[in-house]
Amino acid sequence: MSLAAEVSQPVPMPQNRRRSELIMLLFALVITFFAYASVGLGLKGAVPPGLPVDLIVFAVAMLAAHLAIRRYAPYADPLILPLAALLNGLGIVMIYRLQESGRNGNPGLQVTVMSTSATSFQVMYAAIGVLCLVAVLVLISEARVLQRYTYTLGAVGLVLLAIPALLPDSLSSVNGAKVWIIVGRFSIQPGEFARLALAVFFAGYLVAKRDVLSLAGRRFLGIDLPRARDLGPVLIAWAASLLILIFETDIGTAALFFGMFVVMLYLATQRTSWLLIGVLLFLFGTFITANLSSHVMERFTVWLHPFAGSNPTGIAYQPVQALEGMAFGGLFGTGLGQGQPYHTPLVQSDFIISAFGEELGLVGLMALLIVFGLLVQRGLRAALAVKDPFAKLLIGGLSFVLALQVFVIVGGVSGLIPLTGVTTPFLSEGGSSLVASWILVGLLIRVSDSARGPAPQPIQDEGMTQVVRAA
Amino acid sequence: MNRAILRISLACLAMFVLLLLNVNYVQAFESSKLAGEPGNIRVFDQQFTYQRGSIIANGDGTDLKIAESRPVKGTDTYRRYYPFGKVYAPVTGYNTIYGNSGIEEAENSLLAGTSPKLTVHNFTALLTGKQKQGATVELTISPAAQQAAYQALLNDGGHQAGVVALNPTTGAVLALASDPTFNPNELTSLNGSTVDRNDKQLLSEPSQPLLNRAISVTFPPGSSFKIVTSSAAFTKGLVKNTASTVYAPTVLTLPNGNHLINDGGEVCGNGRPQIIQAFWMSCNTAFGNLGKVMGAPYLRSTSSRFGMNAPLSIPLPVVPSVMPNKPKYWTDPSLTAFSAIGQFNDEVTPMQEAMFSAAIANSGRLMKPYLVQQVLGPGLSSIESATPTTLSQAVSPTVAGYVKSMMYQVTHNPGGTAALTAGPAQADGINIYGKTGTAQNGVDNGNLDDAVFTCFVPAQPGAPAPIAVGVMVKGGGFGADAAAPIAVAVIKAYEHAHDT
Repeated sequence: MSLAAEVSQPVPMPQNRRRSELIMLLFALVITFFAYASVGLGLKGAVPPGLPVDLIVFAVAMLAAHLAIRRYAPYADPLILPLAALLNGLGIVMIYRLQESGRNGNPGLQVTVMSTSATSFQVMYAAIGVLCLVAVLVLISEARVLQRYTYTLGAVGLVLLAIPALLPDSLSSVNGAKVWIIVGRFSIQPGEFARLALAVFFAGYLVAKRDVLSLAGRRFLGIDLPRARDLGPVLIAWAASLLILIFETDIGTAALFFGMFVVMLYLATQRTSWLLIGVLLFLFGTFITANLSSHVMERFTVWLHPFAGSNPTGIAYQPVQALEGMAFGGLFGTGLGQGQPYHTPLVQSDFIISAFGEELGLVGLMALLIVFGLLVQRGLRAALAVKDPFAKLLIGGLSFVLALQVFVIVGGVSGLIPLTGVTTPFLSEGGSSLVASWILVGLLIRVSDSARGPAPQPIQDEGMTQVVRAA
Repeated sequence: MNRAILRISLACLAMFVLLLLNVNYVQAFESSKLAGEPGNIRVFDQQFTYQRGSIIANGDGTDLKIAESRPVKGTDTYRRYYPFGKVYAPVTGYNTIYGNSGIEEAENSLLAGTSPKLTVHNFTALLTGKQKQGATVELTISPAAQQAAYQALLNDGGHQAGVVALNPTTGAVLALASDPTFNPNELTSLNGSTVDRNDKQLLSEPSQPLLNRAISVTFPPGSSFKIVTSSAAFTKGLVKNTASTVYAPTVLTLPNGNHLINDGGEVCGNGRPQIIQAFWMSCNTAFGNLGKVMGAPYLRSTSSRFGMNAPLSIPLPVVPSVMPNKPKYWTDPSLTAFSAIGQFNDEVTPMQEAMFSAAIANSGRLMKPYLVQQVLGPGLSSIESATPTTLSQAVSPTVAGYVKSMMYQVTHNPGGTAALTAGPAQADGINIYGKTGTAQNGVDNGNLDDAVFTCFVPAQPGAPAPIAVGVMVKGGGFGADAAAPIAVAVIKAYEHAHDT
């Protein structure tokens, strides 16, 4: 066999799997359809009147995303869009269920903080999210493009993060969390977008500096400690997250932000010592703030002793309602529309997972967690397969922070860890979180397309020198 | 970088595994416990949407439904109904949309079907599409005895009173009545404002109908406490047997200079009567002197062996009957003389009075009182059933025999304090053994005397069924006149129902 003979063999083209994606997407839409219908049947025995409009808009948006992927990222992982669509669809269903509770002759108590058009808005946000996903696919032909904006996005991220802290309470504070920008009737949570911008910044910065950062200083207890002067960035990130914690009383966002940074630092340098330093700094920070702030201390009390004394009717009312709701659902749940999730305050946002636990049962909740787990796994797979270190770092970090976010909120609601308020990706009511989640999906799809697509083809066949098409 | 990504992947996997384990813990393993948390809104809200288990009285051998949930017409809810109204109220308590009392509270998790013991039943019901149902609670209460106790209290002239009847051989509670009482049907409405209004009405009544005088209120035991004092004296060897003589002056001068006299200042025999005579005449000086000689700690430890000084759950909570070891001067012999005749700080429940007799009737062995005979699952299979247990050996069988023969004289000797009221039952073939008590109370004994009677019919082959009864009537006056007839009525009704 000569070299020429080998080359003449047809190179197997990677499969693009768009048909699988479409079939699974339709499956996700069918589940959403039946779930939506069963809410109405469970509540008062009729299919909800708003179902056709809501689901047609939703389905059109999801199919549009599919078509955009066909056009702009044909080799993308076929599982990512269906998983995200299923989560978003079920989120819309649950928001409809909570919005209808006690209204329009339905049984239950009203969730008064929800507007009567919460579902329509959520569907609209899903459509906006898909528009952003398409924009990501069109504008960012390769992850590397983002690398050019490392410092710009870093600055944007910090500003977004800091705005709520700088605004007066009336324009930034809802339920004690100072994380909003409120303009008239609309409000956005800039932190959700800041996280994406800062992920790009960290990836860009760390790819550039990773050689320096992985230089070993002293060796201590079998661990290579970094040089003292290289500690600067991690200390800055730590200080910034502490500032968020103190000025915005938002432990959840601080934890996600710091966790993402430490993990990306670890991915870039492969030095375990960074992880250890990060964890120690985090514990130290928590310890300090727990002693400084009664708010943080109270969270610990609620976590450890939710049922002690007057806690169930006082400071632990919300988590106790969530736990009792989940327990009430038991193995198979009460069925959509037939539980009492409305007893839990803020069930439509931070605590939405407890409503799923109550009405879909342990079985449904585990299915949801597995869908989240699969989404994270697809992201990490793309990170493994892609060659560009920047994309690797960005997607690795974002996938991890998605897992961390699910862990922090679901773990908090189900009593595994102290409760900190973060949104549940795709499920919670609200536009910022949903749109940011779809942008994240756009980035995942973009990178998985690069990872799975055909290797760059030589454009001329001239001996040893090859000219490769760069994006 | 891939090695690091793989490690981070493992960390993500670990987080999801932890979440999955934790939701399993909350929703599968802890769910019954969380359902039983007090104030669980969801469990409370839905408890009227399925059939709560019935409460049954089975003490006479046949089932009598005393509480059941009936479907409300035109809705998918159930409402609690008590067919006998006030009669069983002190036993069943109430089941309202706001809370429960009595057996409804003590056995709530079984009646409501949330108990872990019903998990399998509930799961089968879920799979077969049947409606969830609570368990049936079967009580030891004898409808005959309970009805008689209720009637007797109703006719006693409006005094506050409590009656408890026990089976001395097992500890099974046969009757538990309180007067005045309430009609639980007034509180079962599913309309919150109706329940509120009726509840406020009951709470505002000065006679406190919601108070369970059989187990939640204590009275001074008066002379009925001489059962404890004489038991202690026999056990300590201070008095050899029932024929031994005791010091019983007309006036007993105490170390602190106070005087203790007999009821009405009467003479006790010749001043040195046999203890059995002092007992049937209920001489205060004889037993006051014995108490003074034995000392408070010994007397108190004997009372503890009769079940006093400790809380009891039957499973309704019974307030402890006490001979307090406070204040500091409680061991002062002058005061112990009063303790020994059931005065000073002694306080007991009607339940405790029944337990005094039950212990003596059962050869000194005090059985733990219990109300729940068994619990039946929705398929009427037994989930749990009671086994009689010994609470304590109050006195030796010999001592019990002595006290028993003394109690016989109280009702059978022409000079016995209850000879005229409890003795005549003998004509019906029922031999009642008893002890009266008339407790002075209030500041300077200014209140009307509380009437007390404790008695039993022992277990004997061929004889009527064993029963022990304790009766306390607040302000009833002389124990033999006010309390004994109530006990006799309960015993007669019970024996009539158990006449074989």
